[in-house]
Amino acid sequence: MSANVRARRPPSPIPSQPPRSQRFPTLTHSRSDADERRTLASKGYIPGRKPHPSGGVYVTSAEWKLLILITLIAVGIRLFRLSQPNSVVFDEVHFGKFASKYIKSQYFVDVHPPLAKLLITLAGFVFGYDGNFDFKDIGKVYERVPYIAMRLVPAILGVATVPLSYLTLRALDCRATTSVLAALFITFENGLITQSRHILLDSPLIFFTALTVFFWVGFCNEDKQQPFSDHWWLWLTLTGLSLGAVVSCKWVGLFTIATVGFSTVYQLWLLLGDMRVSARLFFRHFMARALCLILVPALFYMFMFWIHFAILSGSGDGDGFMSSEFQHTLRGRGMADTYADVAIGSVVTIRHVNTQGGYLHSHPHNYPTGSQQQQVTLYPHRDSNNDWRILNATTDGSEPQDWATLPLTYVAPGMRIKLRHAATDKALHSHDFRPPVSDVDFQNEVSAYGVPGYSGDMNDDWIFEIYEGSKKDPQSKRRLRTLRTHFRLRHALTGCYLFSHKVKLPDWAYEQQEVTCNKNAVLANSLWYVETADNVLLPPDAAKVNYRRPGFLSKFLELQQVMWTTNAGLTDRHTFDSRPDAWPRLRRGINFWVKDHKQIYLLGNPMVWWLSTAAVFSYIVVRGLLILRAKRGCKDFENTKVVKYDTLCGFLFLGWSLHYFPFFLMSRQLFLHHYFPALYFAILLSCGVFDLVTSTLRPRIRLQIAAVLVIIAIWNFIYLSPLAYGLPWTKAKCQNARWLKTWDFSCNDFYDSYDQYKGIDYTPQPSQIVPTPHGRGAVVVEGPVPIVSVDPNTLGKAEPGHDVFAENPHPDVKSDPAV
Amino acid sequence: MSGVQDVRQRNKGKGINRDASGPSSAVDYDDHNVAYLPSRSYIESFLNTEEASAAVVAILTIIAFFTRFYKINHPDQVVFDEVHFGKFASYYIRREYYFDVHPPLAKLLFGLAGWFVGYDGHFDFENIGDSYTENHVPYVGLRALPAILGSLTVPIVYAIMKECGYSTIIAAFSAIIILFDNAHVAQSRLILLDATLIFFLSLTMYSYVRFKKLRYQEFSPQWWGWLLATGTFMACTWASKVNGILTVVAVGVAVLIDLWDILDYKKGHSMQYFWKHFIARAAGLIALPLVIYLSVFWVHLAILSNTGPGDAFMSPSFQETLRGNELLMKSHEIRYYDTVTIKHKDTQVYLHSHPERYPLKYDDGRISSQGQQVTGYGHEDSNNQWQIIPTKALPETGRGRIVRHEDVIQLLHVNTGTVLMTHDVASPLMATNEEFTTWPKDDHSRYNDTLFHLRLSDAAPGEAWKSKSGHFRLIHVPTKVAMWSHPTQLPDWAFKQQEINGNKNANEKGAVWYVNEIVDSQDPDLKAKLEEVEMKEPKRLNFFKKFGELQLLMLQHNAGLTASHPYASGPINWPFLLSGISFWTQNEGQKQIYLIGNIIGWWASVGGICIYIGILGADLLARRRGLEPIPDDVRNRLWNSTGFFIIVWAVHYFPFYLMSRQLFIHHYLPSHVASALVAGSVLSFVLSETINTPVSAWGPSVKPRPTTYADHGVKAPVMVAVFAIAMFSLYLFISPLTYGTPGLTGEQVNARRLLSSWTLHFAAKESGNI
Repeated sequence: MSANVRARRPPSPIPSQPPRSQRFPTLTHSRSDADERRTLASKGYIPGRKPHPSGGVYVTSAEWKLLILITLIAVGIRLFRLSQPNSVVFDEVHFGKFASKYIKSQYFVDVHPPLAKLLITLAGFVFGYDGNFDFKDIGKVYERVPYIAMRLVPAILGVATVPLSYLTLRALDCRATTSVLAALFITFENGLITQSRHILLDSPLIFFTALTVFFWVGFCNEDKQQPFSDHWWLWLTLTGLSLGAVVSCKWVGLFTIATVGFSTVYQLWLLLGDMRVSARLFFRHFMARALCLILVPALFYMFMFWIHFAILSGSGDGDGFMSSEFQHTLRGRGMADTYADVAIGSVVTIRHVNTQGGYLHSHPHNYPTGSQQQQVTLYPHRDSNNDWRILNATTDGSEPQDWATLPLTYVAPGMRIKLRHAATDKALHSHDFRPPVSDVDFQNEVSAYGVPGYSGDMNDDWIFEIYEGSKKDPQSKRRLRTLRTHFRLRHALTGCYLFSHKVKLPDWAYEQQEVTCNKNAVLANSLWYVETADNVLLPPDAAKVNYRRPGFLSKFLELQQVMWTTNAGLTDRHTFDSRPDAWPRLRRGINFWVKDHKQIYLLGNPMVWWLSTAAVFSYIVVRGLLILRAKRGCKDFENTKVVKYDTLCGFLFLGWSLHYFPFFLMSRQLFLHHYFPALYFAILLSCGVFDLVTSTLRPRIRLQIAAVLVIIAIWNFIYLSPLAYGLPWTKAKCQNARWLKTWDFSCNDFYDSYDQYKGIDYTPQPSQIVPTPHGRGAVVVEGPVPIVSVDPNTLGKAEPGHDVFAENPHPDVKSDPAV
Repeated sequence: MSGVQDVRQRNKGKGINRDASGPSSAVDYDDHNVAYLPSRSYIESFLNTEEASAAVVAILTIIAFFTRFYKINHPDQVVFDEVHFGKFASYYIRREYYFDVHPPLAKLLFGLAGWFVGYDGHFDFENIGDSYTENHVPYVGLRALPAILGSLTVPIVYAIMKECGYSTIIAAFSAIIILFDNAHVAQSRLILLDATLIFFLSLTMYSYVRFKKLRYQEFSPQWWGWLLATGTFMACTWASKVNGILTVVAVGVAVLIDLWDILDYKKGHSMQYFWKHFIARAAGLIALPLVIYLSVFWVHLAILSNTGPGDAFMSPSFQETLRGNELLMKSHEIRYYDTVTIKHKDTQVYLHSHPERYPLKYDDGRISSQGQQVTGYGHEDSNNQWQIIPTKALPETGRGRIVRHEDVIQLLHVNTGTVLMTHDVASPLMATNEEFTTWPKDDHSRYNDTLFHLRLSDAAPGEAWKSKSGHFRLIHVPTKVAMWSHPTQLPDWAFKQQEINGNKNANEKGAVWYVNEIVDSQDPDLKAKLEEVEMKEPKRLNFFKKFGELQLLMLQHNAGLTASHPYASGPINWPFLLSGISFWTQNEGQKQIYLIGNIIGWWASVGGICIYIGILGADLLARRRGLEPIPDDVRNRLWNSTGFFIIVWAVHYFPFYLMSRQLFIHHYLPSHVASALVAGSVLSFVLSETINTPVSAWGPSVKPRPTTYADHGVKAPVMVAVFAIAMFSLYLFISPLTYGTPGLTGEQVNARRLLSSWTLHFAAKESGNI
């Protein structure tokens, strides 16, 4: 470089000025022209230094070595004694159980999409897990379960998050020092460590979030250089795939989609305002993003469910939540073909269309109220008490029982019929009594009434009305056809319709669903169909039917709906749940596991955590000031440094807000670990702020400050590490570590000195203080910690939410034991 | 009118040369020579004269009064929430204290109206359907108040549009949407708060528009006048009903946007100028409303000086300010060796004990102390009696025997002769809490476990313990637990009575108790006092303390209104009028009042909002590509003037999505008024490419600009006339549901069920189809 060029540079090159700016990237092929070099130099670029390659991320070879070293440290931190504890921890209860069910192909329903669970299952399967462990309670010791392999999946993904954070910050044009700081902060974050060491879904979620952010940042860099290049397409497609992966781990991934979505809309808005971009080019930009950021993730997400359905081909405890058509696709739930025609004398089972209540059912127990006759209910399971025989009630002289001797008569609209309960030989009956629960004027009780041999009275008579048939079976509109005809039953004397709704009867009817006769029936709730029909008069080769098999798309949509309603229903309180406002303060953690005088308690690294929160708030304050100053005519935004850091921090802040604020709108149960994706953004933001604050310092001093921060972080980590790893600890140390009164790990569980741990390390032994059968005990509270009023029985439970189905597929409805 | 118009707009040349369609080439600085402009149609020019405008508003107002007052005496029965608000008017007249979640202004006005028509407050408004005539209640006078205010809302809406620079016909359009709206009519004819709320809301908007129009004459007397008027009416809205707070928010948002524009460097104002504006608005829109709001409460509390049904909601010190209150009358200082009954504040059970013992082993395998049971019992019983035993030496007589805050006491169960104690044994139901039991009084081996600290709520050191008013916590001396109870029953072995245990967190809500009654006393004076009943002078309490307590309770109870109601509906249903409320039915004659709006007006309003959002969205995108489809001043009118209406609409609507309390369609009525204004301005935009300018008063700093006029032509009056006829016809058609008369046959009811989601009574059964 000639001295001439140097002379033209600003007299004293401001060290604060970053060598290159994201905003005005250098061009690769600009090196030939002396004039251009001169202009570059005048902007403060170091002459002769190799400029940024186009787009993506630029990392020198020395940095790769550094990166490998950091990853090795992360491996050491994340995998240290991964086999301990050798018993079930917190939500391993659910996710381990789900892995067993995948391996055994038993259908289950969970509120989370399948990707992370599939990965865990894969690890278990490869290492020979047979699916026979029940993961029943926290603290249950593993037997013949490759739980280490299963824990390795989240652990490895947790390790991979560390280099990703480094690369992301590098791609955002931060200095290597800053990026190392971020990587080490993530490495020594106790909360992330604890969360990634167990069979839980959050570690994969955070990994894929980090991956998406990395790809997106890389794409943005490419976009500034050369749109529609091969690299550009690659980064964009990878972003799309990664987005699909995030949302396939947990629905919280939708917030990541929102982050990328907002960013995209902003990009498009800028493009729209750029008058050099023709409408055609803008449309290409738009379509490319729509394709890769909407279509690709959607397809990926659906593909995960395709795998999910392909694996879960057998019947399991999630059946009860799905429609009859869906259940029919499950092995062991399928139904044999049944006669298509229903005639007088057929024995049928009748299902309610609108609710999942099940079959029209009766059992030899009487109503305690009203007429005190035999109960008629809806019952969700197959049972011989669901069988009803259709008899002709037309008073043409022939007895209703004569069906066997008379010629075959199909059931047609307008026909007057009786329904005789096969097991108890009583007829479906209605009369002017109020139903037991829906005690209103326009509803009548429905009971089963009669004595054997007695043909019954007029109140047993129902008029058969067809509401609709199937398009593919024209016969089904003219007469009753199994599965195809939706019909109503009108009570002949009172004109009310046989009706059921989502109302449970009390204990005396085993909480089965109420059946009434409704004079003002809502149409949808008074529709019924015949599921099976049998008639001795029909020849064995008569036409038979079965449920239509739903396609993938209808199964997929149905499951989404079930997941949504169940997720919204998770509103019970949990002992360790928390509201979003408590998260940035790290007010309280989650008790994961207590056993053998050791415990695992999910708690972040206070220094990293609070630093990140401080960074977020300082960004808000500074940005607010900048807006005010701009309004008053200050030209801050003409300074490239302000613009660079505003873009960088603004993007990370957007990510943080979108991963945090939506939780305020959720009324479902929330936990500290829901904050982790937002925490990832906050940590990166704090490092961005570090980069800004130290930008005027000499590299050596910057490095020293970073070192001090890292050392404090490591000290914090070590101080609290026994809680993260479940290591021996002493009461005194534990008391000292309780920096906030609201951190409610129970110090009394630990011994007074380390010596007492010797010899008992690996022998399971009941804890003295924790007598509950679950292994994880009631938290012993000293001082005014406000959790005392909690029922101790809830303490031993994992986050419910996942096992609402597993524990109670349908309240175990007993049919009658006597029959 | 939320923002100051752009600088460019003041550019004189641009205004003249911009468009060919408008009459702007005829530059005319005189505002009033409208009628002589050649390019305006005769009808339009005529309509926009002041005389025509006055005539239009007069006609609208007369029709409004007629629709609101027509058969106002029907039904002569209590309808819907008249149960509450009529009752409150009675309480004001009887000056008995009541508690309600809504601020008092609208109810005070009802009280005033009742007093004015000579109502003596004897009627209790117990049930919907109670007859007024039989009980001699001058209910027409009470109903006249909202009817007047509801009628006056119509001309105010007209005036808002007129002041915003819309032509007579457009202003009439907005007013007609309100005028012939069945929901507004039904709501104004009954003793309900919404008519008052909407009246004050529209006045607030009107004043704010007038205020903004004077923005070039800042700090002039008129400017101050309208600023203070805005603040006053805003406070009245807020004091009428709890959702009036949204009006404060709406005006706040508009003012913030306004201030933000003043702050703009490009406007060239100094910071000093900005602070002047800021302080003026703070004074007029924060300080003044606060004072008014507080004074309304002051009046409220000053009137309600007697004891009434609201006493129980309030704290003891508050209750003691009410004349004739039970606490005031029956509250006595408690002395040692008095026998008392103690009640749990939250669940109202007595502290109880009986000779039965805790079972040795509970179902879950835990072991008890097998001591005597201590439970919570809901009924009076001699086993509820406890005697207070001192732990210190007492003088023979005198005030030394009074029990005081922070004293350590023992409680002796009179019937079994045992003293209350607790110890480190888990309670029957909660392993984390301590078991309460008793111990024979002569056995001193557990003496320490029977000591309790008496901690009165909000007490000064040495304060005397009083029955009724002295809420207290009982803290166990050795283990620091508080006597606590919760509404959970013990199993059969304790006769399903309520559990009482020791809670480690003494600040828990369930740890508060009070002495219900002094059963027996050794002090002859007190014994005498217990028997005689004298009238005591109520105590005094600082107004701000009373206000603070009441305000807090109102918020808590408002949030607690979550019980389901058959006619409650979600906010998403409201703009589309998907559901109404059945106010009143009468089987005889099949009469009913069903709160439902005029579907034409509602759908026109919601359509207006959609078109507005579409226009602005398209304009934004087009501008981004360098196209300017809408001229600047029209665009400014849309952003600033219509934008203000949109803010009012949105702020009165969207917060309901976040509320989990019971919601009804009448919560949308304030938003509906704002949406009618939006519909008017959108109609003006659709019909004309120009607007009436200028509307703001000139100031010394501003150069005059040419006058332009909106050219709606003849089509506007025709369209609005057709619209008015359609509105009126539908209004008439639904009116039997609004006025509750005449009765309808089943088929007629079916015909009036315009949307299948309306749940009308007396509908004819649809014939069964076989």
